[in-house]
Amino acid sequence: MTSSPEDRANELRELFFESATELVQNLNEQAMHLEKAPGDPETLRSLRRTVHTLKGDAAACGFRELSELAHEFEDVLTLENPAATPLVPDVALRAADVFTGLLEGYRLKKKLPNIEPLRLEIARLAHPGSNGIVEKKPAKRASPVAHWSEYERMTVAKAVAAGKRVYHVRVPLDPQCAMPIAARQMIKVALSALGEVLALYPGDDAPVTRVEIALSSEKSAEQIRAKCRIPTIAQNPRVTLWQGNASAETGAVAASTEPATTSPSVPDGKATSAPPEDSAPATAVPASDNTLRVDTEKIDNVLNLVGELILAKSMWQQMLHEFARRFPKDDLHGKFSDVMAFQARALNDLQRSVMKIRMVPVEQLFRRFPRVVRDVARQSGKDIELVVKGGDTDLDKRILDALAEPLTHLVRNAIGHGIESAEERARAGKRPQGTLRLNAYHQGNQVVIEVSDDGHGIAVERVRQRALSQGLLSVEEAAQLSDAETLDMIFRPGFSTAAEITELSGRGVGLDVVQSVLDRLKGTVQIETEAGRGTTFRLRLPLTLAIIKALLFGVERRLYAIPLNSVVEIARTFEDEVHRVENYEVLQLRNQVLPLLRLGAPPDPGVESAGRKIFVLVTNSGDKKFGLIVDTLVGEEELVIKALDDQSISTELVSGASILGDGRVVLILNLMALVERFTKARGNAADSRLAGVLRAGTELAPQARAIAGGQA
Amino acid sequence: MEQFAPVKRSEDGQPVRYLIVDDSVFARKNLARMVESFGGQVAGEAGDGITAISEYDRVTPDIVLMDITMPQMEGIEAAEKIVREHPNARIVMVSSVGYQENIVAALQRGARHFVQKPVKPEVLYEVIKYVMRDDGAAARSAGAGA
Repeated sequence: MTSSPEDRANELRELFFESATELVQNLNEQAMHLEKAPGDPETLRSLRRTVHTLKGDAAACGFRELSELAHEFEDVLTLENPAATPLVPDVALRAADVFTGLLEGYRLKKKLPNIEPLRLEIARLAHPGSNGIVEKKPAKRASPVAHWSEYERMTVAKAVAAGKRVYHVRVPLDPQCAMPIAARQMIKVALSALGEVLALYPGDDAPVTRVEIALSSEKSAEQIRAKCRIPTIAQNPRVTLWQGNASAETGAVAASTEPATTSPSVPDGKATSAPPEDSAPATAVPASDNTLRVDTEKIDNVLNLVGELILAKSMWQQMLHEFARRFPKDDLHGKFSDVMAFQARALNDLQRSVMKIRMVPVEQLFRRFPRVVRDVARQSGKDIELVVKGGDTDLDKRILDALAEPLTHLVRNAIGHGIESAEERARAGKRPQGTLRLNAYHQGNQVVIEVSDDGHGIAVERVRQRALSQGLLSVEEAAQLSDAETLDMIFRPGFSTAAEITELSGRGVGLDVVQSVLDRLKGTVQIETEAGRGTTFRLRLPLTLAIIKALLFGVERRLYAIPLNSVVEIARTFEDEVHRVENYEVLQLRNQVLPLLRLGAPPDPGVESAGRKIFVLVTNSGDKKFGLIVDTLVGEEELVIKALDDQSISTELVSGASILGDGRVVLILNLMALVERFTKARGNAADSRLAGVLRAGTELAPQARAIAGGQA
Repeated sequence: MEQFAPVKRSEDGQPVRYLIVDDSVFARKNLARMVESFGGQVAGEAGDGITAISEYDRVTPDIVLMDITMPQMEGIEAAEKIVREHPNARIVMVSSVGYQENIVAALQRGARHFVQKPVKPEVLYEVIKYVMRDDGAAARSAGAGA
């Protein structure tokens, strides 16, 4: 494969953003872990490693602000200053936010966020208790001797008293120097060659941005200065002779000190003179050598090709039938069958393997929530525990990515509106700490993701009133809706029960975003709520969007399919077994009464149809069971879904199309939409409601055929 | 590669002679190329600490460029042993950032300087100039108090 240098650079950039986002996420997690386990050395170490890697990567890509900030932060972390430890989590979280802002700024070439506040916070970490600016002010260094221990001060005083020449040597470290502690050692070694080091600052528990040494030496100040000009480590040493008593010393020192020399920030001139990529450490290697980063588009391509192969497989099968019919006695038939069985098996494995590549654990999505919960809980002054389960459940990456927004919405909503304040909870006799649960698990061919809170639940009556007052429902409609249907109103655009839209949960957008995303993903959302006990939002999603196992059936000589996993059973019955209850057609199935949904036209009343055989597909959509009346059953098949664009299909009843081996087009029905259309229609007394919901959809078939055929 | 004004030995104006110690052949070649561009001469190479010591005895170089992580004997130990035998040995540690503690240890045991990997020629050049400027008496007492 050939690629231009720009391509390579872009690829690298993309890789950087991807891994940096991951690193910032790690930072978030480590910071929150530290909040729970303050000062945990292992976490502190990983935190430092994360910041370190981020620094190196950012430097290599030439993102100066990010690499500098990370550098400063790393330095402070390196000190392992116990007094600063309690402050680390907060600063790390702030850093994660600022880093995210910087990354976004870099990526979209937008204005970068202000990094100075964070910079101050980081500096403050170096000297807890100070206001962070101190570092830059000469005032702090008016009494540098104060840095030194009692013992060191005594040693200096003794040496001065003994008439020795004692120099105060201040060496600012080169900000590009990645190893300040080694640098300190280097300076100490260099100065030891000229005399005796009486005192050394900083010690082991302070930041090393400069080194101050009390040196007893017979050499001249100029010689000492020369010795301290160590390439890559220090440039501008300041050497003053110590004389007289202690107060005079400090005065002299203060007077001779220039404010800017030890500023923790990198002076602009210097930073630009050294190309940023130079400071990229060699240690910034990807976490695992066995991992390959691949553009999802490439995997999609492979998956599409697999789809085509599956289509080819069914074409072969068709041919084989034809062959068997024409040459029933030819023994080549058996050989063909063997080869095809082998091919089918390989194809199956291939498909499964490719699908597996697309699958990622839900963990990747869940891991962002501890931070969200923490922040939202803080903002709303609530104490909330997040319990996450089933993070290892696999889900198609595309679905996972699309879920981020709705899930965040639900979580914010649960904390903002679902869970009560501690006082309210106490009044209701609950634990003051609210619990938010995220849970994921496989169910059949679906993934279920639940967001549950133990709050006050959703008052159905309030939802009804609200929907009425907002004009989303007419009075008649409101009266007819079941509780579950009423609850679904909260997903309607424009619906809001909160008195005001809070920054927390609302962000000005309603929960309708949840519904619309799930529609797009061919998923469903279902609400379960109990007054005083809490609410669960249950999201059901297909494992993948590309290939489904489907049940094929015919209605009015057209071919349709529904996902096989939504079919509970198939009942065979006669037309006269179908009863009418109110406006429903129902079927008594064992001891259950099953509402029926007639896809085709109802039997002509005049014609004798009572004995006509029909099939009823018992389906499960959400928690509702429905029977679909169909004319013929065709069979099971794996369908490679060809997406239909909005122009070719204007009905929500059809979610996609596929092509069979013989070239026939199948429309894949959207069960949820069918059921919804059906329940809506029952209010109208007109008989047309029974006249087959699908009739409108069928007209689209030729058009869909053209589309799907064109893509094959 | 960039050209540098040659660094000469101050005592006799002869080219500086180097011993390059690294277990990676690539790293050795890379460093050799650099020091040659400084007008230096590669007097010897070693891929591990033990060979480094014997090579030092054999070629008595002006400067040793010493990697830290190596098989058999690590750079720090080799540096320590060389300095014990030859107090005037000028040893420059070459290492990645992650090995800061090891560099501190090497400096305490008598190494003169360190450069960070990946080594940049202009940095190494400055370091070499600095180290060569030293009078032989330099770090003799350095290890003591550290």
